[in-house]
Formats: sequence, structure tokens, C-alpha cells
Amino acid sequence: MVSINYAFKEISCKIVYYGPGLSGKTTNLQYVHKKIPPNTKGELISLATDADRTLFFDFLPLNIGDIHGFSTKFQLYTVPGQVFYNATRKLVLRGVDGLVFVADSQRFKMEENLESLKNLEENLQEYDYDLDRLPVVFQYNKRDLPEVMSLEEIQSQLNPKGLPFFESVATTGDGVFDTLKCITRLVLDRTKDKPEVSESTKVSSPVIEMAQCRTEKLKSKIVLGAVQDISQVEETITESAVDFAAQKTMVLERDEPGERGIFSIETSEPAAEEPEVIEKEENRLVLKPASEEKILAVSVKARKSRRGFSLWGWIKKIVGK
Amino acid sequence: MNSRDLVIHEDQIEQIDKALIRLIKGAEAKCALLVDKDGYLITRQGFTHSLDTTALSALLAGSFASTKEIARLVGEPEFSVLFHQGRKDHIHLCLIGERTILAVIFDDRTTIGMVRLYAKEISEDLARILSQPAESTESREGKLDSDFTRSVESKLDDIFKD
Repeated sequence: MVSINYAFKEISCKIVYYGPGLSGKTTNLQYVHKKIPPNTKGELISLATDADRTLFFDFLPLNIGDIHGFSTKFQLYTVPGQVFYNATRKLVLRGVDGLVFVADSQRFKMEENLESLKNLEENLQEYDYDLDRLPVVFQYNKRDLPEVMSLEEIQSQLNPKGLPFFESVATTGDGVFDTLKCITRLVLDRTKDKPEVSESTKVSSPVIEMAQCRTEKLKSKIVLGAVQDISQVEETITESAVDFAAQKTMVLERDEPGERGIFSIETSEPAAEEPEVIEKEENRLVLKPASEEKILAVSVKARKSRRGFSLWGWIKKIVGK
Repeated sequence: MNSRDLVIHEDQIEQIDKALIRLIKGAEAKCALLVDKDGYLITRQGFTHSLDTTALSALLAGSFASTKEIARLVGEPEFSVLFHQGRKDHIHLCLIGERTILAVIFDDRTTIGMVRLYAKEISEDLARILSQPAESTESREGKLDSDFTRSVESKLDDIFKD
């Protein structure tokens, strides 16, 4: 269920698109992937057969960014719709937080829709989940085709309880975002029933606290870094010095020349923009954060390439506000 | 809070990270990831900057899940260790406790034996750390206030505008 990682200040929710074969689940994800800004999404991964039918699942991570100090992520999955892939379909449901049931609106597909819905209930039962207690949104897809059933007919057959539903044409994107927005809201509303944040945590954002704490730690590490004998110091940046005085840039320097160590840059989020390298010399690296708007934690790693012995150092810094 | 929710605290991560670093150094591996069976990355250590760890976590969890089904079909409750051999890089996966998977990526600088040895040793530490009851301080348990959903919605509106 909803995963909360206090160390990375991260909330992740898993949303699964379920439905019969060829109802448009993968198309939904493809449309989302195509339309949203690049810094928000990861790669769309499809485990599909040669004929482009989903074999195991499609996976699209969305990172909508910092919300109240928590980096909020949604992981969208689809299941293989074909009946005989039930073994793998069931696996994708593990840990699901919200479901989108993508139904094919065409009249001759109704039986498959019903069968898939029944199969969903059975599969959920195996994990002790209850369809009535999970956030579910229905999406009646392919509304542009002839031979579609009327809304009333579909509702009475698939959704007698009147759960939220949307009409859609996934190929053109009609209704795709509405569905996604609705399910994310339901998932978060459900999480909201849990204890509220206490006053003390509301006052200062946890991310800032963490970043400050990391910065303090780092300062102490740099002091340690002055120790000449590296064997005494573990996990420190022994070959680097960090310029904390500069507000908007970060400078790394290495005492020893070249070959023995490398610099690599990593942002705290895979989707976040990497800091811009303003200056790069053999033993000196100057970085400028890509965004000044938000709090960005940047880590810079220095590694000694002496065989079998590596050192990592983390530099966390608050930029902007 | 739902008992199935995965909540990991900073102090737990620190301990896990230390254990992973010990594993990487001892076994001379490239990196190690701790992944939840639902496909979430819990933490990672080592050289992961060139890896898409989000996707990797989802896929590793998927492959573990499908292996579990294979195990069931041949009458085993679960295969607890998985090994993928590549040309240069290899991955060793093992189950930690009920719901987490330790993935170690390594190359030919070391051997599968070393990785297995250290992974097994670290597994016990990790299982112990993960089974620690979450700290009882109230403020750490709470997370989402009512503003949260509203903020997410407005952010989504921004992102999803056509």
C-alpha cells in the first residue's frame, strides 16, 4: 500500500489499470507519457509480446514533485488483459492503492468486461483486498466507435454502485487525464483518513529539517576530510572540499590529480533536473543547481578508483527560497 | 495507519545504508538496492547514478513475483535467491524478511560466491532493522493533512493541462 519513505521524504502510490484485452489500458499510459512534461515522468516500460500485446505489465512512474515537503510519486501499471495471462495479471495487483477499470464500450465486448471485472474481484481476494474498499474509477473507453452501448446500459451492468466513471477515447486522450486525476484524488483522500500531521511538524517542513541535518553532518565530514590518513575515515569526502560560502553554486576540489578519483553528479530524484556544470577541470568541479525555485538536494560523489575501495560523499544543499 | 503500508524512518534507512555499504565494500559489488515487493525502492547505495532505479525496482519486484509463481507451480513455497548472469554485470537477488528484496549488482571484479556470502550475512541484519517497530513519536507518524490532497490536485492540474 502507500509507501512512505521518511528518509527520502517520499510518498509513492501504486495505481493499476485493469480491464479486458484490447480495451486501451496501455494506450492510456502511452497518452499520459506523451503529454506530460519530461521532468515529471520516468520512462514508460512495456513488457510486451512481439505483437505489442502486454505480456506482464506496463509501468510509468510519475513524480509530481514536492508537496508539503514530501516528494509525491505515482506509479502507474497496466495488467495484461488477455484471459490466459491471469497468473501475471494477479502479480501486478500486489500492493495496489487505486484501480482504474478500463472497459471497452462496444456492445459485443460487454461480456469480456464483465468477465474481467469478476476476475479482478477474485484476484483481489487472493491478496485479501476488497474491491468495495479500494478506490476505483471506471473508464468507458472507445466512445468514438460505432456500436457502443449507451451510458445507462453500461452503468447498470458494470457499475451498479455508481462509482466515479469517465467516458474516454484513449487514442486521442479524451478523458484520460480526468480519469487519472480522479483516481489520484481518491487514493490520497483515502490516505488522508490517517492521523493528521501534528502542529510541530507543520511549522517546519521535514525536507528542510533533513537538508539542514545533512548539511551539519556534511560539515563534520569535511572536517574529518582534513584527516590525512584516509584509512581512519570511512564514507567521507577525503579528497574534496566544498565551498559553502557561495550561496548558489557548489565547488568541489580534489587534492590529488586525475586518474585516481572520479566525480559524478546525482540529484536526489531521478526525474529532477541535474545541476549545471559551470566549470569542470581535472580536480575542480563547479555546479549550479538547475532550479532555484525549489529545495533541491544534490549529491556529488567522489570515488577513489583504487581497486576494491571506494569512497562516497554526499553534499546536500538548500537552494532558492 | 494501515498495517500494510510501508513506512520507513530515517534512522532505519541510516542503519540499512550502513549495512549496504558494508556489503558493497566486503563483496566488492557495484551497488546494492533494497526494494519492496510492491516495486518501490527503499534505499540504494553504491554507483547507481547511471541506473533508472525506479524502473529497476519495479522490474526486479516483478521478476521476483513471477518467480514466486513459478516456485508455486513446481511445489516450492518461494525461491529465496535469484541470480541473473550477464556478460559483464550480474545481479544477485535475495529475499529479506516477508516483503523486501535485496538486489546486488556486481561485475567480474568479484565472484558470485563472495556476493552470496556477504548478502547472506547482511540479510540477517537487514531483516532485524526492518522488523524494528516504528518509533512511537506521534509527529513522525502523521503525514497527510487536508491541504495535501488539494495541493496535489492543483499540481496535477498544472501538469495535465492540455
